[in-house]
Amino acid sequence: METRFATSTPTGTDNGTEQPGALLTTLEEAQRTDEYRHLSEATLRKVALETGEPLSRVYSVATFYSFFNLKPQGKHTVIVCRGTACHTRGSLNLLKEAAARLGMPEFREDEESSFTTDDRLFTVRTVACFGQCALAPVISIDGTIHSRVTQGKLCTILDAMRKGAAR
Amino acid sequence: MTVKTMTPREYGAMAERGIATVKPSVPAISVGLGTCGIGNGADVLFDALNDAAGDRVLIKKAGCFGFCAEEPLVMLYSPGKPILLFTEAKASKAGKFVEAALDEKAYDRLAKSARAKISRWDFRTSAVEFGSGSPAIPEWNELPFFKGQEKLVLRDCGLIDPENIDEYVAIGGYSALRKALGMSPDEAIAEVTAAKLRGRGGAGFPTGLKWKMMRQNPGARKFVICNADEGDPGAYMNRNEIESDPHMLIEGMAIGAYAMGAPEGIVYARAEYPLAIERLRKAIEDATAAGFIGDNVMGTGFSFKLSLVSGAGAFVCGEETALIASLEGKAGRPSPRPPFPAQKGYLGMPTNINNVETWCNVPVVIARGAAYFTGIGTDKSPGTKVFSLVGKVKNTGLVELPLGTPLGSIVYGMGEGTGSRKRIKAVQTGGPSGGCIPAERFDVKVDYESLAELGAIMGSGGMVVMDQDNCMVDVARYFISFTSAESCGKCAPCREGLSQMLRILTDVSQGDGRMEDIVELERLARVVKDSSLCGLGQTASNPVMTTLKYFRNEYESHIVEKRCESGTCEALFEALCENSCPLHMNIPGYLALLGDGRIEDAFELTLRDNPLPGSMGRICHFHCQMRCRRDTLDEPVAQGEIHRYLADTMYKMGREKDVWNRLVKEKKPATGRTVAIVGAGPAGLAASFYLSRLGHEVTVFDSKPKAGGILRYGIPAYRLPKDVLDKELDLWKRLGVKFVFNTSIGKDVGFDSLKSQYDALIVASGAQSDRRLGVAGEDLEGVHAGYEWLEAFAMGKAPKPGRRALVLGGGNVAIDAARTLFREDCEVTVAYRRSKASMPANAVELVGAEEEGIRFEFMLQPIEMLGEKGRVKAVRFKVMKPGGIDPSGRPTPVETDRVVDIPCDDVYVAVGERVDASFMGEGRFKAAKDGRVAVDRLSGKASGNVWAIGDAVTGPATAAEAMGLGKRAAKAIDEELMQRDAFGDLFREFGHSMALPPEPTKTKMCRSRLVPPEERRGNFQEIAQGYSGEQALLEATRCLRCDIRADARSPWR
Repeated sequence: METRFATSTPTGTDNGTEQPGALLTTLEEAQRTDEYRHLSEATLRKVALETGEPLSRVYSVATFYSFFNLKPQGKHTVIVCRGTACHTRGSLNLLKEAAARLGMPEFREDEESSFTTDDRLFTVRTVACFGQCALAPVISIDGTIHSRVTQGKLCTILDAMRKGAAR
Repeated sequence: MTVKTMTPREYGAMAERGIATVKPSVPAISVGLGTCGIGNGADVLFDALNDAAGDRVLIKKAGCFGFCAEEPLVMLYSPGKPILLFTEAKASKAGKFVEAALDEKAYDRLAKSARAKISRWDFRTSAVEFGSGSPAIPEWNELPFFKGQEKLVLRDCGLIDPENIDEYVAIGGYSALRKALGMSPDEAIAEVTAAKLRGRGGAGFPTGLKWKMMRQNPGARKFVICNADEGDPGAYMNRNEIESDPHMLIEGMAIGAYAMGAPEGIVYARAEYPLAIERLRKAIEDATAAGFIGDNVMGTGFSFKLSLVSGAGAFVCGEETALIASLEGKAGRPSPRPPFPAQKGYLGMPTNINNVETWCNVPVVIARGAAYFTGIGTDKSPGTKVFSLVGKVKNTGLVELPLGTPLGSIVYGMGEGTGSRKRIKAVQTGGPSGGCIPAERFDVKVDYESLAELGAIMGSGGMVVMDQDNCMVDVARYFISFTSAESCGKCAPCREGLSQMLRILTDVSQGDGRMEDIVELERLARVVKDSSLCGLGQTASNPVMTTLKYFRNEYESHIVEKRCESGTCEALFEALCENSCPLHMNIPGYLALLGDGRIEDAFELTLRDNPLPGSMGRICHFHCQMRCRRDTLDEPVAQGEIHRYLADTMYKMGREKDVWNRLVKEKKPATGRTVAIVGAGPAGLAASFYLSRLGHEVTVFDSKPKAGGILRYGIPAYRLPKDVLDKELDLWKRLGVKFVFNTSIGKDVGFDSLKSQYDALIVASGAQSDRRLGVAGEDLEGVHAGYEWLEAFAMGKAPKPGRRALVLGGGNVAIDAARTLFREDCEVTVAYRRSKASMPANAVELVGAEEEGIRFEFMLQPIEMLGEKGRVKAVRFKVMKPGGIDPSGRPTPVETDRVVDIPCDDVYVAVGERVDASFMGEGRFKAAKDGRVAVDRLSGKASGNVWAIGDAVTGPATAAEAMGLGKRAAKAIDEELMQRDAFGDLFREFGHSMALPPEPTKTKMCRSRLVPPEERRGNFQEIAQGYSGEQALLEATRCLRCDIRADARSPWR
């Protein structure tokens, strides 16, 4: 199970309905605990029912923020940082390489924000910025940040990961 | 929750516990455990240290000290001694650190590798003396990266454990809150107002004023919010501020809450920052438990509840009204202001939102007073700003500087340039809302107003350095693609305008742009800026407007030439080697043909792209290798060595004639147009080759007795045997190019008469006028101008040199002169004013010169030529030392007091050449200050029917660059004279193999055999013997074939 981002439980509030950012927190938690780390229609309906928010608003929030996945995610996640520092240091080529190596050479970041392989082993996605700019370009694999990644280094990492996944 | 109020004594106990680890009385080691450090192995190192230390040495966690480029950072504490700072510490060295903490001798040994020391630290809320000693190690703020930094916000970062509230209290933390609670709220606001603190999120709104407006608004509930949704790609200072010192944020917010009467606070942090969230959550719990926040703070009756929310990844939530919508559980779309959040914010209540860094400044302002704060920075923008200095810069990391620091001193001083020979092109500040500032404007002072004047903004503090390999059209496209995707879609100008701008920029980057697109882009940019609802749209045009303003030529190149010089826009080139080659040789093509066994075709392909393949294969600067992708794996492919091999092989077999005949046969029918070219060097030769093939009658004038220019008279025969050049020049005769030798324009023939006699006149006269040093004694006998001497030598007219030769300079002319003199049996010394690494000469030439035993003296600036009876006998030098990095990326030579004399019989001054185009008539061709001829950048046209190419335009550059300009001008001239598009007919397809090579294994570049140094004295035989057939084939297979992709194309074919 991926533990990429910690979700927050706001402190200092006792009343659930008034808790700031409650809906975000609930959705983040629902996604975190989902087997494929995504928000299915059923989940969204359940959240709407439990929070008393209209389904339309729950859907609006779930589709607005890049953190939420409406599609099931792969067992392993490769995130290529597309921040400015990473971009100037060649992260687009890393993204293309990762996509090609994992069987999705036609992937284009301006059309989709992520893709998952058919066997649901891998998801490749981008992030606006990890804030690791000094060590650009960076990628994260299952939550571990790899810095100053070159094409060669990426291939080694991906090949090792593929071997591991095949076992 | 009720928290018991702590007594002053209990606070005292906290501080005592804290100081015991801030300034330990036992040996200790701390590791910077920010996300950057962890990403570089700091966590592994921390565990290794704990294992090695057991309970013998205190191993501490710390935040990040900011020098991210050299993570992981380790600090070694020894009672009574300064802290020693070590960078790039490896887990394998854990034992050494522990040993050093325990043992004096081991300490002294390890201290030698310390990067810096910290004797005393000013936490701003207190100061701590750590100790003195280790005079050989520089203080931390003497390192270039830290020199000039003023750590006001980052005051504790790296020196305290962010997870230990006791340490924060020990260094004076929460004393500002205590002080504020003793003031009236209005007094606290007055202090912040007097400090002239401005919003550090980027807009720079006066914080005191914002607080005052908020205080005046009544509400049943009031909120203070910290905007920690640091969404600017390229900026991460807020992450580090929270990770390394979360309590300063809590303290700042608590003071604000008290001053504004807002007892509830929320931190809205990016979900992408898990460590910051984790540490802040712990800090909030600890601060609440200690009674610094919560109910009845320190018994004053003031209460403050702080909660933490993690955002879910939406850039627009950095906009305050969108952030509020997000907190309310909605999609983060902004709403029009007024009402401002201070009137009607979160849950409809008065709300104040400030950026992380703004809050972090507050404790210092209160603790030290407004006057202390305004003493730093400028009058309008007091204080400091933290920037993330990243991108193509050697020292990446967080730098905190007084506002008003010039941009150049950040990039070249703290950043120390690119760390390579690459040229810095621009700095992008302020992320997607900011702009690109060109290197020519690096004198700008970094403050809110000065950056805005240039069209950029300070923003939250991202500073991304870009070099010559970054394309500014791509940068604009990158940002618009970001903002267009992040636009919330609420207002039409932003939603539609940005997507239209993106469409245009995409067209331009793919070679489908038109000049009208630039006008349309500018119009859209203005409309989107003026009419968008929120800051995202209002500033999103900035990257486009600034790149259009400062880098318009790049847009024009993409549109007119279909060319992306930096090699970023992939649709505009076949491969990076081809794109970097000034002649755009189809390198993957001839390598593939060689692999296919089609040597003649391979030769023909190179010849059509570069009419001097044998000569250039020997002496080229090999621009192709500098961007070869193979270089990231092992070494670049020796593309040039291979086309030399192709040419040599064809000439040896006598088969070049077949190919030449084909070129002669396919010459276009005579056009009846005449072209005169002044100069038979590489530029003139390239232009005449293509123009004559296009059917024009070409006459080349040169003052020398033979053609070749620098190839014949500048480059010595041991690098380029003249029979190779003569062989290649045969082709020009066959093509019918007319040469008029021994004829100087302006002397033997008038420039104006040429101009009127010919349909087009090309100036290709080069840059061979030697620069003078301008020192006393330069006119003594025995002082020679470097290039002039090489020419005289090549023509057999140089006087016999004296035994002791002294060459001044570090470029190729200097090395050519030195190695020629070595062959004339001289004892040669080369003196250069910078270091060896700074020499502009080709590396291979330098190695050759050293092998031959030529002596080098570095860091010597000539100041006088000493003579006797009118003849030079020595040169006097000032000894230089390396200073800061200059815009050329090299350390500036700085004078010392020392002077040395080097005795000699002859001096050869090779300190650069310049253009002398005075024969064109003074001032008629908008000559640049240094004599270069001004031309239209895209065509090479000077004015009327006059064109200029080569070094005459660029100043001293490479032969390949000169030929590239000649080739481009030939195309432009044919288009103008004939109103046709026929240039493409001069090339042909060879249909080589397009099979991807197998997965590469590491192999070195093949090296050709060299004549050993001991056999080189007294003769001019060629040193590099060239590849064998086997070597050439092997080297060709090293090519990764970057040209094999769907969208590869070259504007030249």
